[in-house]
Amino acid sequence: MGKMKIKAKVKGDVLKAKIQIKHDMLTYDQAKKKGKQANFITHITGKVGEKVVLDMSTSQFLSKNPILKFQAKADGMKKGDKLEITYTEVFFNADKTGEGKYEDVTEAKKIKGLK
Amino acid sequence: MMERRKFLGLGAALFVAVPASLSALDFRKEKPATWTAKKVDESIKALYGDIKTVDGDIKVKAPKIASNGGAVPVTVTSGLELKSLAVFQDANPEAAIAAFTIPEGAIVNYTFKIKMKGSGEITVIGEGKDGKFYKASQKLDVALGGCEG
Repeated sequence: MGKMKIKAKVKGDVLKAKIQIKHDMLTYDQAKKKGKQANFITHITGKVGEKVVLDMSTSQFLSKNPILKFQAKADGMKKGDKLEITYTEVFFNADKTGEGKYEDVTEAKKIKGLK
Repeated sequence: MMERRKFLGLGAALFVAVPASLSALDFRKEKPATWTAKKVDESIKALYGDIKTVDGDIKVKAPKIASNGGAVPVTVTSGLELKSLAVFQDANPEAAIAAFTIPEGAIVNYTFKIKMKGSGEITVIGEGKDGKFYKASQKLDVALGGCEG
């Protein structure tokens, strides 16, 4: 059922992460053509415990099923720690009328390579 | 402020050293004009104001010829101490692609795939902790436009 594939590994003192989110990322143009609401991810955060390792605002222009790779220093991370990814998506009328509806989805995965 | 704490969720005593500057979530709420601007210059101005950019240790890399405009891989790297970073392009209806807040201990090395409607130029602006704005860009050709679905 997972909407995300999260891979997180520490090599030396660097956390390397790769996430893939299953999402149509419908732009306003695409939504208009399909007669649906525009629906795309507007924000993605990544956390390990209390530490924020990714904080990004996004537009309708990320690819469908977006893949994202990022890195962070692994100081303070220990075995058993999980990388938690939350994305916020918006549902918006294709003609941009009305208010957007925002929803969050969160998934976490244990980080490999930690001692 | 409350929004942000609620968004970050768990952990009652959230003493996380939140940088004084805006977070990436705030970018969408507090700088909405960034996301609706059609031209790269307008978008940069909406986000960072009237800035002068300099060259520096910041790179953006994308294939010079992208076969599929629906999934163009872009990599942004930098060895600088940055507060935030934003990516723009001039081929789509709106110029802004993404804006990152660079957390403490983050390494600036991001790869993501974007849609580009046609050939154009990708620009990245890094907001340094030193108060300077660093710019890098790359032009590319897109064989098959990426917003068609």
